[in-house]
Amino acid sequence: MSTVLDTLRNAFPGRLLNCEERRGARIYCDAAPEVIVDAARELMDGHRARFITATGTDTRNAVEILYHFSIDGEGAVVSLRVTLPKDRLEVDSLAPLIKAAEWVEREIHEMLGVRFRGHPDPRRLLLADDWPEGSYPLRRDGEGGQS
Amino acid sequence: MGWRRWARTKSPWVFHFSTGSCNNCDIEILDCLTPRFDVERFGIQLVGSIRHADILLVTGSVNRRVAPTIRELYAKAPAPCLVVACGTCACGQHMFKESYHTMDPLDAYVPVSVYIPGCPPKPEAFISGIVKAVHTL
Repeated sequence: MSTVLDTLRNAFPGRLLNCEERRGARIYCDAAPEVIVDAARELMDGHRARFITATGTDTRNAVEILYHFSIDGEGAVVSLRVTLPKDRLEVDSLAPLIKAAEWVEREIHEMLGVRFRGHPDPRRLLLADDWPEGSYPLRRDGEGGQS
Repeated sequence: MGWRRWARTKSPWVFHFSTGSCNNCDIEILDCLTPRFDVERFGIQLVGSIRHADILLVTGSVNRRVAPTIRELYAKAPAPCLVVACGTCACGQHMFKESYHTMDPLDAYVPVSVYIPGCPPKPEAFISGIVKAVHTL
C-alpha cells in the first residue's frame, strides 16, 4: 500500500498534493492538470493500475474531475482530483493513453464543457443532435438548457 | 367472436422498446418470459421488429433523442397497434420530469392504451396489463 502512496508523493513533487489514504486502501490526491497523463502512466506502468472511470462535478467556482484507478493486486483504489477553474476548462486527454477514457471524456465534455486536449474523437456522444452547441446541462451557473 | 378478433387476441406479439430506461423494467419483462411466469402460454412473445408486433411496449421516459423514434415506430407498426407504457417513467416521467433531456410524456407522442405503473412493475402487473390491453382489441 505504502509503495503506491510513496510513488504518488515523490514522483511529482509540487504537482501531486495532499496525497492521503483514507479508510484502508482508498487513496486521494489533488493533481495539477498538466501532470494527469504522466501520473496515470506512472500508476498503470509502475503499479499495474487499471482505469475505472472519471467523474466530473461542477463545484460552482470550478469543475472537478476525479480519475479513478484500481490497483487490483492490492485491492486499492486511487482517485486523482483535478480542479479546473471556470475560465480555463481544459485538460490533457487520457484517451490516447487509455482507450477506456475516450467515451467518459466525451461525456464530461458535453455535460460540463471541459475541453480535452488531444482527444482522438471529440464528437458528441449522448446529447441529441439538435442540442444547442455551447450549452452544458450539468453546469450550475445557468449555462444549461433548462432550469 | 369474429375471426379477425380471434386472430388478434390469440397471440399478441410484443415489440419491446427501451427509451434509455434504467433497465429494471426491461429485466422484469424478461422475467415474464421465464418458466415461472411464462407469458408464452398466452401466445405472448417478444419480436425483433415492430413490423411483426401487435403491441408496442415502452419502458423509460421519452428523451430528446428518442422522441422522433417513438413516432416513427408507431407509424411503422401494422394497425391495430396497442401501446403499453411499462413503469412509472413511461407512464409519467417519474424522477426525470423537468430534467434537461426529458421531453413530453409518452402519451403526448403516441396513444397509450394501458399504463403499468411501478418502479419496476412486478411481472404479475405486467401480465395483467397485457391482458387488459388484449381485452381492448
